[in-house]
Amino acid sequence: MAIPLKYNIRNLFVRKVSTAMTVFSISLVVAVFMALMALATGMDKTFTSSGDPRNVLVIRKSAQVETNSTVRKSEYQIIRYLPGIDTGANGQPQLSPEVIVLLNIPRRGEQLGANVIVRGVGPEGFELRPQLRMVKGRLFRPGLREMIVSLNIAGRFQNTDVGNQMKFGKGMWTVVGHFDASRTAFDSEMWADVDELVNEFGREGYSSLLLRSRDPKAQRELISQIDGDRRLSVEAFSEREYYDKQTIAAIGIKTLATLMTIFMGIGACFAAMNTMYAAVSNRTREIGTMRAIGFSRASILLSFLIEAVLLALVGGAVGCLLALPINGITTGSANFSTFSEVTYNFRITFPLIATALALSGFLGVIGGFLPARTAARQPIIEALRSM
Amino acid sequence: MKYFRIIWKNCMRNKRRTILTILSVGFSLFLVTFLRTLMVEFSRTNETPTAVRRIAVHRSTSLQEDMPEAYRKRIETVQDVEQVVGMDWFGGIYKEPKNFFANFAVEHEDFFDVFPEVRLDTAVKQAFFAQRSAAFCGVKLAERFGWKVGDKVTLLGTIYPADLEFILVGFYTSAVDERTFYFRRDYMQEALGKPGKVGVFFVLARSLETTPRVIERIDSMFRNTDAETLSETERAFQAGFQTMMGNVQGLVLSIMSVVVFMILLVVGNAMAMSIRERSHEIAIMKSLGFQNESLIGILLSESLLISLMGGIVGCFGAIVLFRTIDMTRLSQGFLQQFQVEPLTLALGFCVALGVGIISGGLPAVHVVRLTVSDGLRRVG
Repeated sequence: MAIPLKYNIRNLFVRKVSTAMTVFSISLVVAVFMALMALATGMDKTFTSSGDPRNVLVIRKSAQVETNSTVRKSEYQIIRYLPGIDTGANGQPQLSPEVIVLLNIPRRGEQLGANVIVRGVGPEGFELRPQLRMVKGRLFRPGLREMIVSLNIAGRFQNTDVGNQMKFGKGMWTVVGHFDASRTAFDSEMWADVDELVNEFGREGYSSLLLRSRDPKAQRELISQIDGDRRLSVEAFSEREYYDKQTIAAIGIKTLATLMTIFMGIGACFAAMNTMYAAVSNRTREIGTMRAIGFSRASILLSFLIEAVLLALVGGAVGCLLALPINGITTGSANFSTFSEVTYNFRITFPLIATALALSGFLGVIGGFLPARTAARQPIIEALRSM
Repeated sequence: MKYFRIIWKNCMRNKRRTILTILSVGFSLFLVTFLRTLMVEFSRTNETPTAVRRIAVHRSTSLQEDMPEAYRKRIETVQDVEQVVGMDWFGGIYKEPKNFFANFAVEHEDFFDVFPEVRLDTAVKQAFFAQRSAAFCGVKLAERFGWKVGDKVTLLGTIYPADLEFILVGFYTSAVDERTFYFRRDYMQEALGKPGKVGVFFVLARSLETTPRVIERIDSMFRNTDAETLSETERAFQAGFQTMMGNVQGLVLSIMSVVVFMILLVVGNAMAMSIRERSHEIAIMKSLGFQNESLIGILLSESLLISLMGGIVGCFGAIVLFRTIDMTRLSQGFLQQFQVEPLTLALGFCVALGVGIISGGLPAVHVVRLTVSDGLRRVG
């Protein structure tokens, strides 16, 4: 027969201070884990939500990322007329030649800056990325030194308000609007007209081509056709696959999260063990009495284990609550593969909360097992005799 | 220290609790040491006498853009400029992207004058000068891939559309970094069809005092051209990379304070438990004539002893661990030196000291304030 759960809950309340301190130390481990993982999740989600499964991205062979790549205009002409590319409402192939320029601009309130991606897009660029919408101002006009800036970048960098001017390339560029790209990688970019940007920086070609395939079968054929064409020195990827690969940027944070959780977790485990050992030794007589009434060793063991897990789960829940306010906060760091700033939000997801609670439960089991075993092994007579 | 025996006996009374507490503090202080070392690693700068005179000249747009080779001649004419070397970040990949290491194309005639901390044997230097496809790298990098003199190494171009094959002529030693790969710029230019563009010029100013003026002169020389420059001291140039990563310092500092707070809770809880169990006998000691001060002293010394032992376990554990395991290999070249600084050690022990005082002090004062009769009446 099992000992009622009420017994454990009441006991946790008897030792209020000790319970609170243990709960709190476990909650700190969980909170740190949650905060770091929310950071990594936010970064990952930014990339994994960026690519459209129908889109194909073309970059130079072995360039790895758009920022390193050059696609010649002759190559653009060949690819533009390949079969399998979807046509838009105007009857033109849905393909956008794009150029990437990294621009070093100072962060708000700081002298030093970071590289921000300026993406020159063709007229089809917007249709290929429906997640992008203007929230302020207007679109840039082709042929003018105008650009639009994502809200995230505008919030973090100087000279990016609508109407501001920035000098780069050969002249002054005006910010004419702000956009929102629904938490994708484009939220870390500034956009302008591709031809204007190519001329401004005297580039010999584009950086990449983005195109929409008619259907999944056409996509596979397009990719193998582009990769196999001897005239082209480019590679094609599904856009989704390309952005999935960039999730490597979060690996540093994930490693830090793992390290912190392991070491802080061990520390908190020992603390829980201390508390549980004290609980067992304070209740030696009670344990003896329960055994004498007829509760088995197994139910004593289980009861103390449940008590430890309960303690840890409360800690886990408190930890989740502590970490919750950071959800949605925008932050940014470097994506070293493109050598540019990537902005993202802390994201607390349900799987993350579940993982955090499971983690705290696990800490409870590890911390509670040895004390529970000690409790279960006590000989009845000695236990009853103890003070 | 006439009370040392009683302090020690008290510590050993519940050995299991003492050991668990020490280990818990140890693991947490290990983290504090680790995090602070991480911060030091990120803000490390090269302070050799030549390094502080070096200026990096690059395009003001960003490092992605480059400058005409002819800029070199013009920079050389600037007053107080001693030496100039053109360099390109090649960003080449050795076999697979995960084998990341820094690789630069350098103007070989001037490179060693501007970077004297890169030490190469004269014979190796001559071999490097004699052969276009020659390359050399740091001893630690060679160790990582098991390279020997005469080995052929191919780097796949990511930024530049060329895969280059090199012959390793030797390995350099340096007090700063021994994991970089250098090769000749003329070889790369030839492979690319001589585009005549340079990524960064490193300029050696005549003295530390003249650097601000040299920076100003170079930048004003190219103002309003198609390729405006941004010159900065090497230190500022590197600080630029660190700010790119975002607010790492803030993140690490906040985690560190959480860890410290956790230690406080753990030790505080352990001390509160053991002092509560002992309130009975503390009352007896009081009735025997022990002064409040000496009782608090005894209890405080006990918590100090425990937390300092935790400090020894954690901080020295970190030192030993970082010495024995190769952190650079583990982090794939991301962490270069990763040694515990004396200041970090001091910080760890200050935390241990503070934790000992607070966590032992509060319950000690509380129990000592009880009257003898209250203390004697307390059970368990």
